[in-house]
Amino acid sequence: MKGIFSGKFVLLFLGILTVYLVNSCSLFTAKVDYNTQIKPLINKKCISCHGGVKAKGGFSLLFREEALAVTESGKPAIIPGDPGSSELMRRITLKDPEDRMPYKHEPLTEEEIALFRDWIRQGATWGEHWAYVPVKKVPVPDQGDSWATHSIDHFILEKIKEQGLTPSAPASPDVLLRRLSLDLIGMPASDSVKGNWLTQNSQKDYEALVDRLLQSPRYGERWASVWLDLARYADTRGYEADRGRTIWKYRDWVIDAFNADKTYDVFLKEQFAGDLFPDPTDDQYIATAFHRNSMTNDEGGSDNEEFRTSAVMDRVNTTWTGILGTSFNCVQCHSHPYDPFRHEEYYSFMAFLNNSRDEDTESEYPLLRQYSADEELALKDLRKWVSENVSAQKGTEIYRFLKTGQPAINSLQCDKFVNAALVSSWYAGIRNKGTCRLKEVQLNKESELTFRYITYKPGGVWTIYLDTLATQPWKRIPLENTKGNWQIATVELAPQVNRHDLWFRFENPALTNPDETGVLFEWFHFGEPFPGKGKPGYDSAFVRFNRLLRASTQTTPILVEANQALARKTHVFERGNWLVKGKEVKPAVPAVLQTGSGQSASDRVQLAEWLTNKNNPLTARVMVNRIWEQLFGAGLVETLEDFGTQGIPPTHQELLDHLAYAFMYEDGWSIKKLIRRIVLSATYRQQSMAMQEQINKDPSNRWYARGPRYRLSAEQIRDQALFVSGALSTKMKGPGVMPYQPDGVWNSPYNGAQWIQSKGEDQYRRAVYTYWKRSAAYPSTITFDGPGRQVCVARRIRTNTPLQALTLLNDPAYLDLSRRFAYRLKKEAGPTADARITRGYELATGKKATPEKLAPLLKLYKQALQQFSADPVKTCEMVGVMDEHNNPETAALVVVTNALLNLDEVIMKQ
Amino acid sequence: MTQKELHNQRLVREAEQRVLHHVTRRHFLKESAMGFGALALGSLLGSCGGSGSKTAANPVFDAAHPLLPKPPMFPGKAKSVIYLHMAGAPSQLELFNYRPELMKLDGQDCPPSLLEGKKFAFIRGVPKMLGPQAEFKQYGQSGQWMSNYLPHLSTVADELAIINTVSTDQFNHAPAQLLFHTGTPRLGRPSIGAWVTYGLGTVNQNLPGFVVLTSGGSDPDAGKSVWGSGFLPSVYQGVQCRSSGDPVLFIKDPEGMNRDLRKASIDAINDVNQQEYKEYQDPEILSRISQYEMAYKMQITAPEVMNINNEPEYIKEMYGIRDGQNSFANNVLLARKLVEKGVRYVQLFDWGWDSHGTDPGTALDIGLINKCRQVDKAITALILDLKQRGLLDETLIVWGAEFGRTPMQENREGKPLPFKGRDHHVEAYSMWMCGGGIKGGVTYGETDEIGYSIVKGKVEAYDVQATILNQLGFDHEQFTYEFQGRNFRLTDLSGKVINDILA
Repeated sequence: MKGIFSGKFVLLFLGILTVYLVNSCSLFTAKVDYNTQIKPLINKKCISCHGGVKAKGGFSLLFREEALAVTESGKPAIIPGDPGSSELMRRITLKDPEDRMPYKHEPLTEEEIALFRDWIRQGATWGEHWAYVPVKKVPVPDQGDSWATHSIDHFILEKIKEQGLTPSAPASPDVLLRRLSLDLIGMPASDSVKGNWLTQNSQKDYEALVDRLLQSPRYGERWASVWLDLARYADTRGYEADRGRTIWKYRDWVIDAFNADKTYDVFLKEQFAGDLFPDPTDDQYIATAFHRNSMTNDEGGSDNEEFRTSAVMDRVNTTWTGILGTSFNCVQCHSHPYDPFRHEEYYSFMAFLNNSRDEDTESEYPLLRQYSADEELALKDLRKWVSENVSAQKGTEIYRFLKTGQPAINSLQCDKFVNAALVSSWYAGIRNKGTCRLKEVQLNKESELTFRYITYKPGGVWTIYLDTLATQPWKRIPLENTKGNWQIATVELAPQVNRHDLWFRFENPALTNPDETGVLFEWFHFGEPFPGKGKPGYDSAFVRFNRLLRASTQTTPILVEANQALARKTHVFERGNWLVKGKEVKPAVPAVLQTGSGQSASDRVQLAEWLTNKNNPLTARVMVNRIWEQLFGAGLVETLEDFGTQGIPPTHQELLDHLAYAFMYEDGWSIKKLIRRIVLSATYRQQSMAMQEQINKDPSNRWYARGPRYRLSAEQIRDQALFVSGALSTKMKGPGVMPYQPDGVWNSPYNGAQWIQSKGEDQYRRAVYTYWKRSAAYPSTITFDGPGRQVCVARRIRTNTPLQALTLLNDPAYLDLSRRFAYRLKKEAGPTADARITRGYELATGKKATPEKLAPLLKLYKQALQQFSADPVKTCEMVGVMDEHNNPETAALVVVTNALLNLDEVIMKQ
Repeated sequence: MTQKELHNQRLVREAEQRVLHHVTRRHFLKESAMGFGALALGSLLGSCGGSGSKTAANPVFDAAHPLLPKPPMFPGKAKSVIYLHMAGAPSQLELFNYRPELMKLDGQDCPPSLLEGKKFAFIRGVPKMLGPQAEFKQYGQSGQWMSNYLPHLSTVADELAIINTVSTDQFNHAPAQLLFHTGTPRLGRPSIGAWVTYGLGTVNQNLPGFVVLTSGGSDPDAGKSVWGSGFLPSVYQGVQCRSSGDPVLFIKDPEGMNRDLRKASIDAINDVNQQEYKEYQDPEILSRISQYEMAYKMQITAPEVMNINNEPEYIKEMYGIRDGQNSFANNVLLARKLVEKGVRYVQLFDWGWDSHGTDPGTALDIGLINKCRQVDKAITALILDLKQRGLLDETLIVWGAEFGRTPMQENREGKPLPFKGRDHHVEAYSMWMCGGGIKGGVTYGETDEIGYSIVKGKVEAYDVQATILNQLGFDHEQFTYEFQGRNFRLTDLSGKVINDILA
């Protein structure tokens, strides 16, 4: 700030001020722009007292109708067209600091006052924030410059010129190859993918290279990591116990979706409403696990409804933070302080997501059940039989029940326990002569009850009463002794209609200890007998049905929408407190973001439709910005998570809109085409070396007069080291793997889970497959700024710390890769240290080695060699084996490969 | 400073550079007319025109030097914090809150008024009241009531500010711990230690700024999130120093690599990086070079500081050190060493205080006495040791837990447990603070006669957090960080500094 006070600066400053004042005066006639001139002023000077949470004096500036309304004083503060009579003008121009606004703050400047005056005179029109206006086609500014080979470049060059900068030369083919490979597949390209790019680097060769990278299965693995941060994907459930969760099929679904270039609209639709598609496939069900990645709480005494609610709110927040780039969670407690969202709108939006059947149960119902191949065939046959012999609808119902176990009522909905309890917070458990209630069950003439339960002794009888225990039983059910194993049973019922409280009573004289639990229930399904009795093949179909119902299967938590009988109501939570329920709300999107596609949406399908409607102003912009951030290190809107008026404004709004438009209308939401579009630009292909002048003018490269240069992600660093050392396993998918991790990282109470190091190639799988425990994620991932994945994180903040250095220098996982790297060099690069180290440098950096860069590495080698030659013990320790590698040369080479994996140019993209 | 302000500041800097370096007046006129100049100037006026915030600014995040010391908002009394968290929640009724009336009710049924509308983690039905199991006396000049479970700590009663009226609304361990350390029972927010190192940086660049030490056989229930950085850059998360294996993860050179060779290897890395810098001019490279130098120094410093064997015998005796074991006492001595070396925030968790009475280990008259023996001497030694080194005035010690324990004896499924225990209690329990500008010999707040609810002086997690920040020189209401478009603070929307316990 020293410069501010230098005389020269003050002179200039005054000069600028004059210009500015002249400028302001010229606005006397010019139209004042609400968005760029008034809204920022309001946000900075007024809104903390007059909008959102607070409306002091009954005056709020958040919405136009509020701003023009009558305030507590009995008159409006703003009278459009008449600044002279507007109280606002009077209050901001007063001399008395007791009455002047902003209250107890510096007065507004003359220019600011003039802006308000002109704006009111011109009618006090409200403008819509740019990010809430649907994307329109933007004309490409022709810069008439041969550097700009691509529409992107014209937008970029325009700003570069404005900044007094000039674009940089193209990066050399090897540097560009490495950059492109890390960006597209998250690691260096294999020789076959490189093709002849390094020898013939024409535009055509470049395009072919890009296409080969986009077709590589490694592409999906790299981009899945980005999405999984948003999806808060993890292999555990979170909270205290943080026990395991089997949901890796969702991770694999994401990888497949990127690889298949599932268009972004379909990608979103399946994740939000795959279960509601007509006749969903397993994959579409698995897609909905996106919103089953919210945490569940297994701790004793925790209220299932509280944590179910909190999971639903997490889904709302994830949707807005990750997909819509909006800080919607503010509205949880009060109307948005800066952006045009009302408190109630949070809950209307939540209503879309509040009707999934999950209820924080231990078993994480509802689950997609995936049978063995034989059983899947049997299921298909069964469905066909029912469809042909009864009806297609019945076939679908039975298929869904077997696939998802829905509809079913969880026993944790029971209450009024007497001599009974909700055991471990999940299972209604009843002791001898105990009772409990399952309230308000909608019955619809069902004649069968199927339920899952455990008993421990023979002789138990379960009796169900309608509405009160003081009546004749509805049903008396002797329960078979399951000897402590879960079992599914079906009994007949006398059909009933309407909503009833079901009262349960359990009795078993064999229970001699009064504290002994006699029965545990898990779920209840009210339904009809298996249909088609009397039709040919009925018997075997019925047997097949029962076998499938009880089969143990692979499972994945999914969304299944509640039917009408089980539907929940959604209420506003007063001040965000879930226990204080306000008025009931129906599903709706915020008024300001209506896409004009008919009525307000009524279920999750319509939510998905709204999200992917081309008139939704946020979805495409936010995704395009995210892809840009992945390629350039920062978004065009730096705050990926906030496109609202408090986010950082875009550096290149027109370019963002241009790309968003192309993404939707020209490329049909294809992410591969979007990435291709960007990486073909001259902007992307610039070299990233900076002139001192560029550093001074644009230290963080927001104007793109040079290529991107920033540190790789945790995943890229690991994957690159795996690739370079030759250890990489390209095995795809499956349960999370456990590469080397030091002892004692997992140390949670009430949880005997152990990190058991994977064997064989599973130790060398890509980072995306590493088992992710929320409360103790893989140490090197966290050190390199990976998030905990407890909640949606829209943007990783990159840091640079000594712990990162220690990880790459000393983490035994990286030491192991250094050794493998050294063995690889011995095999591939001939006998001399020079050749090996040269090859090592080239593999690690993707660049030709220069003598200057090799010199320090060779010096290190010599020093190490000298030490190891005199010390066989240290030699053996360094190479870690007693085989043919146990010699000073290899040990010294390991020291060098260890150094190589630490070089700045290796852990940076450049 | 928020990202927005950072951005503005950057615009100011850019505008400055434009002005100072090469912008002709004419060029600038053009820019102003186009609007961008005006925008930058707006920021200039805002920043230089004196219309900024009244209190000192929020800290600036400097990605290249994220841990360099920074000034607080105002001069604070304390420079560092040692937070001793007894995970599991010890009974205030056996340690600090002397309730003789409760003894009279011992064995009687709990009145329904204490149970109606209340939720407990385990108690069901009607439990019995349980009188204090310890003997209480007044200690020191100040006459603070303390129990015979803490015979050492009672000798420094005049140093402590005991708060008997802490309350929370979370009755499960993990969320309650999160609430105390991150300001919310949910996951995802930064811990106090992260906020503090973000705000103040740390003095010793060769050690982590925020160190976590755990004992008692398990990490706290809430796991690593209680020392996480939440939405703050991950550099501010607590570094868990370990009692077995490397004291800091990956601090030890690989076997076979001696210090000379490590030095040579870091030199080689930095030599190559220097050349890289010449070519690319990216300041990030210089930062990386310094991080590698720092890593090398940390490799020497951290194991040195973490090694308590070199401490004189009388100090080991004073703390009750057990050589070569993971113990709370060892961690307390380490905490002193770390603070002495300039570590900003040392967080200790000792697990095993969950006195339910299900077994001898959780019995109030067996297990709790043992746990007290494990910590009493060491904590007392810490206070005296810091004092004799002249460090107590600038080191804030906080002792506490996530909640307290019920005046009723715990039952399960309506039956009393075999041993004397108490269930989790959220409405009133005890903590204490000491040093770092806290008044000694004070008892704050008053509960009812049985220690069930607060009569006067309610203190919540937010108030404790506000007080810690205040002692370090931060106004908890002004100390914010922007995330997901909103300014977050540690104390959320609450928090009052507990002025009555300040010296």
